[in-house]
Order: sequence, then structure tokens, then C-alpha cells
Amino acid sequence: MDGKEHTSKIYDRELQEIKENLLYLGGLAEKAIQNAMRSLLERDSDLAREVIDADDRINRLDKEIEERCIDLVALRQPVARDLRFIATAIKINAHLERIGDMAVNIAEKAIPLNEEPPVKPYIDLPRMSDTTQAMIRKSLDALVKEDCDLADEVIREDETVDNLNDQIFRELVTFMLEDPRTIHRALLIMQISKNLERISDHATSIAIMVIYLVTGRNIRHGNRAEKSFQNDI
Amino acid sequence: MFFKKSNLFYKIFGTYVIIILLGMMVVGFLVGRQVKTRLMERIEYDLTTYAQMIKQISSKGEIIQNVAQLAKISDTRVTLVDATGKVLADSNKEVSRMNNHLNRPEIQEARVKGRGKSTRFSRTLNVDMFYVAIPVKGGGGGITGYVRLARPLIEIRQSMRELYGLILQSFMIILILSFLIAFIFFSRLISPIEEMEQFTEMLRKGDDPGTLMIGSSDEMGRLAGNINYMVIELRDRVRYADEEKGKLEAAFASMTDGVLVLDNQDKIETFNNSFKTMFRIIRDDILGQTPLEVFRNIDLQNAIDCFKEEQMPVSREITIGGEPGLVFDVNLSSIHGLPESETKTMIVFHDLTHLKKLERMRADFVANVTHEIKTPLTAILGFVETLQEGAIEDKETARKFLQTIRKHSERLNRLVDDLLTISDIELGETRLFFESVSISGIIESALSIVEYRAVNKGLSVEKNVPDELPPIRADRDKLTQILLNVLDNAVKFTPEPGKISITAFNDKADNVIIKISDTGIGVPENEIPRLGERFYRVDKTRSRELGGTGLGMSIVKHLMMAHEGEIKIESRLGKGTTVSLVFPVFHEELIA
Repeated sequence: MDGKEHTSKIYDRELQEIKENLLYLGGLAEKAIQNAMRSLLERDSDLAREVIDADDRINRLDKEIEERCIDLVALRQPVARDLRFIATAIKINAHLERIGDMAVNIAEKAIPLNEEPPVKPYIDLPRMSDTTQAMIRKSLDALVKEDCDLADEVIREDETVDNLNDQIFRELVTFMLEDPRTIHRALLIMQISKNLERISDHATSIAIMVIYLVTGRNIRHGNRAEKSFQNDI
Repeated sequence: MFFKKSNLFYKIFGTYVIIILLGMMVVGFLVGRQVKTRLMERIEYDLTTYAQMIKQISSKGEIIQNVAQLAKISDTRVTLVDATGKVLADSNKEVSRMNNHLNRPEIQEARVKGRGKSTRFSRTLNVDMFYVAIPVKGGGGGITGYVRLARPLIEIRQSMRELYGLILQSFMIILILSFLIAFIFFSRLISPIEEMEQFTEMLRKGDDPGTLMIGSSDEMGRLAGNINYMVIELRDRVRYADEEKGKLEAAFASMTDGVLVLDNQDKIETFNNSFKTMFRIIRDDILGQTPLEVFRNIDLQNAIDCFKEEQMPVSREITIGGEPGLVFDVNLSSIHGLPESETKTMIVFHDLTHLKKLERMRADFVANVTHEIKTPLTAILGFVETLQEGAIEDKETARKFLQTIRKHSERLNRLVDDLLTISDIELGETRLFFESVSISGIIESALSIVEYRAVNKGLSVEKNVPDELPPIRADRDKLTQILLNVLDNAVKFTPEPGKISITAFNDKADNVIIKISDTGIGVPENEIPRLGERFYRVDKTRSRELGGTGLGMSIVKHLMMAHEGEIKIESRLGKGTTVSLVFPVFHEELIA
């Protein structure tokens, strides 16, 4: 009895540690995007280089979390909810690592952009980045609170980001048609926009995993109507 | 009910019963044995005497003849047996039906010892019999027969039964008496205990039980005294602890810094009101969660980890939240609880956001002033140098240069004027001469200054100011300056063909509102709050081209504040800007 209790305590702590690490990774990823976007909007290339350097940390933590999860599965044979949590953690972990990579991509594009005059004042891009960052924040909040409503909100916001991406695309095409000298810069901005859009997709995936963790239902690859969790709850 | 509840009574009474029972048993056993022995001895003595008498007085023949009579007199059974064991006579039974008696233990004993006795159960009479036999001797001294007397032991049995009956009776009496004694003893003992029990029960529930009154001076009385003393002590300590707690709680709650306390597992244990207000974005069910779960802030987590590792107070500047975020001076220190292992962490958040903003504004201001003054000065210096190096000879160029120098000097002058104005207002050294002012006249005069430039630029000016507006309390010159600055901006930032409109009206809340709208380039929404900052320009290069000092709106803002008015700016990028100046209506009687 005593020994068992002891073991379960360690087990609980291991689960909690994985969660903590995951949130730490989430914090790093959030900060990476924030800094990457700031490096672009404030034309601060040093900050961009900082983001690129910081990715190493994200990658190491990603690897560590994955190893911990696999160790836990091997040693403790988690069942039911704990198993779902581990499975979710492994996937969310991968998503966060990818988000970190996207932030690096953005930072890499920001450096050449900062060396040339701006094509136009950034208006939609900051909005897109704000929404995307909010989505990551909310999806991780949903994970902490195990809140399906919040996760659902993230899933719905994905469309806003998609629309912004399309809008930026159309606008940049106009600029490129008007003045061919802007093509290089416009393409870089387009890639940044695309990266933001993909980050929002990752945030959406995290939200879906949270819904899976809480309800045990996997709504991935469903159509839009099905994705809206509140409709069928 | 009293007995059912009280275990103690049964314990006391039970002990009594056991002691009495044991005593009675010992007494019964010893007395019974003694009485039995004495009775047996008497019977034996009786029988032996009778037997000797029979033997001495009567011959065998006489015995045989008078056996029934002898038996009756001595109240025994008389048996005569000859030397071979054959029964010659018996007072109770037919001689012919009795078998040889030589083997009977009493006969055998009599033969050997001269007297024999035995106790055994007589099947013939169905009772314990006591036998005594003595030999009858003939003339030659040889044994010729035995006289045996027997008596049933019914008497002894009866005596014993009576004795035990008596013992049982006395036992019952003592039992009843002991019950009464136990009850009295118990009630004397239990009533103070019960009282104390109720007293402590009340104490435990937190009621005020007053003082315990126990009259006796024995252990109970001393115990009650101790309890009373303890209660007083306890009450004092509780009051002291409450007071201390109250003080601490008040300090904790009224602190302007946010305080967060983590338990030894880094889970949030408590936080104060300021913390709640600071992070109102965060939900309130954060108790029991880790800071990482709540903030997901890497810098904060790093600070906590660092603190855990070094066990030394850590102080860091941390930005929490997204853009622009709040800046905090975060201090971590440990709280030592009573058990040494339960070390808690206290995190104090000191909000530096406002301070940081002011710091940045001051730095910006210095940088801006330097820049703004430097630019015209450089130009002036450049032209003066060129003139000195010979350009002064060329009249045409010299005049052009001098004109430029004049233009820059004027700008410098304007800048210094504006700076003086603003610093005077800020320091409160500008004397405003408030009077009741009708705004339509002021608007008219301000507009007449700007209108010419606006029309020249190709802008249409629209005025909609009713004459019968209530007066406001204002400084005539300063009000003109406010209007001029706002109108000047409108003209500057509205490309042709544009429109500037000025309307005035008074609303239901007793305010006079002057609205100046343009169809200009507008201001991005997130920059509107910064318009009042000194040298803040939305589009730096363009504004300077247009001759602005970057102080216009700042002056307006300060003057409006001095007028107890309000300025509201609405703007849409590319569509235009509307500046609303809200003045409270002037009421004559307020001054009188």
C-alpha cells in the first residue's frame, strides 16, 4: 500500500513535469514568434538573429519532452486519460517545435527585408500575427484549463487568419504588378504571411488535441461544420 | 439514560461486584470447610461413644434382640457383624438379605486399628452415610464381632445449605449497598467531569464558555483550575494571533504590489487583491496551479528556477503579457513555515509599466529636442559658412540664402516658443485668464487666420456654428491657440481636394462641443493615444516638410486639461480625422 502510493506519487509528478515542460516549450514558441514579428515590424535584425539562435533551445526541449513521454509509456503503462495525455503531449510537442521553426523562418525573412525600404506600412501582418499569437496562447490555455470552449474558439479563429493571408496575398500581387522592383520584398512578405498562416494551423491542431484529451473524441480531418465543437455538444 | 451513557459507572460498580464476589467466595469456602469438619467430628464422636456403650453394656445376644431399640435411642443404624463378616443383626434391613461385611473399609480398619470409620454413599438409603465400627472382644481377647453404627449425613448437607444460603443473602445485601455507594461515589466524581466535558466541548466549538466552577479542592478542583487558566491563556493567544493575522492581512491586501505565494511544490497558494487587479486577464481559479500554467512566461519561470536553485532572493525585470505587455520588477524570496521543509516562495510584482513608459518618453523627448533643434541649426550654419566663403558677393544667391536662413531661424524660434509654452503649462506657470467666452467669435477669428491658407491649398471650409451657444469658461487667447493648432493640423494633413468642417453645439450633458473634421490622411487607430506626446509624429518626414514642430497637439492637450475640457480624436486612415473639443458650459452663479 505504502509502496504503491509512493509510486503513484512519482508517476503523478512525472506527468506534471511533462505538462510543465510542454508549457515551457509553449512559452518559448510564443516568445519566438513575438520576437520574430517584432524584429520585422521594428526593423530590428539583431532580434531576428536572436530568434534564430534561440531555436536550438526549442529543439532540445522538444527532444527531451518526447523522450520523457516515451519513457513514461514504457515504464508506467499509462491507461485511459493518462495515455491520452501522453499521446496528446507528444503531438502538441511536435506542433510547438514546428511553430518554433516557423518563427525562425520569419526571422530569416525579416533580416533581408530590414535592409530595404518597406514596400508599404505593415497593417494586416501585425493583425495576423496578433491573432496567431492569441491562438497559440488560447490553445495552451485550453490545455491548462482543459477547456473545450476555448479550444473551439481557436479552431474558429483559424479562418480569420486564412482570410488575412488571402488578403495580404492579393494586396502584394497588386504591388508587384505596379512596381516590379518590389517583387523580391513582396515575395518575402508573402512567405512570412504563409508562415503565420501555418502557425495558426498548428495552433488549431493543438486545440483539436485538447478536445481529444478532454473528451476522447478526435475531430481531426472532419469538415468545418463538424469542427465546430459547440454545434454537436 | 444516565447509566446507559456512563461507562464509568459500570466500571466502578463492576469492580465492586467482582471484589465482593471474590470475598464472598473465599469466606464461603473457608467457613463451609470448617463447619463441615466440625460437624463430622461431632458425629464421629457421637457414634464412637454410642458404639462403646453398646459394646460395654450389652452382650451379642442382647444386641441382636434389642437392635431396633438401640438404633432408635442412638438415632443411628446399628449393625452387628461377627468375626467372619456375617451380619448378625441390623436395625434397618433383613439380616438374611445382607451379604458379608468383612470387606467394608470401616470393619477392616476396626479389625486392624481397634476403631474404624468411613463415609460412603449408601445405595440402600440413597444418601451419604458415615460409618463407625469397633470390634467386640471375647474373653480370650480375640475379636468375636463388630458393632457398627451409621448415620446419614443429611444433617451436614442441610447445615451447609443453610450456611450458603446465608452467605448468598449477605452477598445480595452487600451488592445493593455497594450499588448505592458506587452510585453516590460516581455522581460525586462524574458531575465535575461532565461539567468539564461540556466546558471543553464548547471551547472546541469556539463558543465562549466563561469560567469553569468546581467547588472541591481535590484533583478535580485543581484540574478545573488548570483548565480555566489554559482557557484564559488560549484566549489571549488566539486574540494576539488574530490581531497579528489581521494586521498582516490588511498589509497584504492593501499592498499596491501584486503578491503571489507558491507552496513548496510551486503551486499557487494565495495572492492579494493587487495581483488580481494587475492580471485581471487571468481567470481566478489559479489556486493550485503552477506559475507556468498561469503565465506561460519563460522569463518568470527562469527566475523561479534560478531562485529554487540558489535559494537566494532574486530580483528581475520581466515583461508579462503580449504586446505591449506589462513590465514588472519581480522579486522572489522564501517564506519559512514552521516545519523547515515547507518552504514557500513569495513573488512580489512591482509594476514598472508606467515608469518605463515615462522613462522612454523622457528619453524620446531629449532625443527629439536635440534633433529638432539640430536640423535647422545645421542648415543655418551651412548657409552662413557658404556666405562667408564668398557667396555673399553674389547678391542674388546671398538673398536666397538669407531667406533660407531666415526660414530656418523662424522655425527654430517657433520651436522654442512652443517648447516654452508647453513647459510653462506643464509647470503650471502659465496664467490663464478665465472669463465667460462666447465661442462663435473665437471660432470666427481663428478660422479667418487659417481659411486663407486652406482656400489657397484648394480645400473647402465649412462652418456650422450657431450664434446662441452658451458661454464657456476659457482664456480667450489660449482658446484661440487651441483652435488654431487643431485647424492648422487639419489644413496641413488634408490633401486637395479636401474639406474641413467646423461645427459647434451643446449636448444634453451641459457641454459645448467644437468638432473639427477633415478629409485628410488620418491617423492609424493604435497611434491615436500617442498624439498628445511631445514630438510624436505619425509620419515623421512629411510632418516636418509641412513645417510642424511636433508640439501642436501636445499643447492642445495640455491647454484642454487646463480648461477642464476633454479632447477626443476619431480617425480612419485615409478617410479623415475628427477632433472633438469638449468644454463644460460656464455657469455665472458658480463663481458668485
